[in-house]
Amino acid sequence: MMASEQSPNAKPPAKYRSQLRIYVDIMLVIQRENNEAKPTRILYGANLSHDRLVKYLEELRQLGVIHESGTEDKVYSLTQKGIEFMNNFRRVESFANAFGFRI
Amino acid sequence: MEFIAFAIALAVAYQALKGYRLSKERTLLYLNLSFMLLGAGLLIDSLANLVVLLTRFHRAFLFLSPLGYTMNFVAQLLAYALLVFAYVEQTRNVDIQIAMAVAPVLFFEHNAVTELILIFLLVYISAQTAINYSMNKSRNALLVFGAFASLAVSHLFFLIFTLVPVFFAFAHIAQLFGFLLLLAMLFRVNQTS
Repeated sequence: MMASEQSPNAKPPAKYRSQLRIYVDIMLVIQRENNEAKPTRILYGANLSHDRLVKYLEELRQLGVIHESGTEDKVYSLTQKGIEFMNNFRRVESFANAFGFRI
Repeated sequence: MEFIAFAIALAVAYQALKGYRLSKERTLLYLNLSFMLLGAGLLIDSLANLVVLLTRFHRAFLFLSPLGYTMNFVAQLLAYALLVFAYVEQTRNVDIQIAMAVAPVLFFEHNAVTELILIFLLVYISAQTAINYSMNKSRNALLVFGAFASLAVSHLFFLIFTLVPVFFAFAHIAQLFGFLLLLAMLFRVNQTS
């Protein structure tokens, strides 16, 4: 697992996050929550404002990497495509980090 | 040996390309181009030597050996310069145009001075990968550092080989060892899930 590969201080503080990094942060929160995350959890976990969270969740849903369920209490989970994307991203991140490049 | 190194260089280039497609991170594109150049240089050099060997050192084909070596040398020079540029750009955000203006300086004929430039580039890359390892302490970073350090040592041996012929074999072994370390890193990365 990548988590065992890196210490918490491995990533230098970034001035801003790329769109990809925000997507990944959101999906990581969902994975951390046993693939069933409520918007509030994602909001705090991915450190986003409400408006940006709604925007990114909609984008991720349209990309087919997350699934929205529930009517009043919405719950988000990763689709199979989302899980595969995260696996690929981890490999790429691990590869880039090995050379000292950050993505 | 160079065919194995060529295959590993291509595998690293492919992984970097996959990473670039996913992340659109420019440094991964540089990494891809760098290892493509390394692979191309190794392939040309090994094919040239193979032709010379298959024609049983026929006089008409003898020119291929130094030609292949020189092309490999230039490819490596460009590849390592590109990697240095990637590290510099990441740390200092240097303008591409400045780097491109410096690029013609790299076109020398093969001699001890250019070999020293190659060693200098590899020492710089090794230092960067050592810093990376000291920061994140991952085995993959250690493997990459070990790989570039081995490649730097191999070029040092290529330099010494002009004085002590036995170092030619040591240089090739060090080069292969460096690429095998990269292969080990690739296996570890692809086990990540």
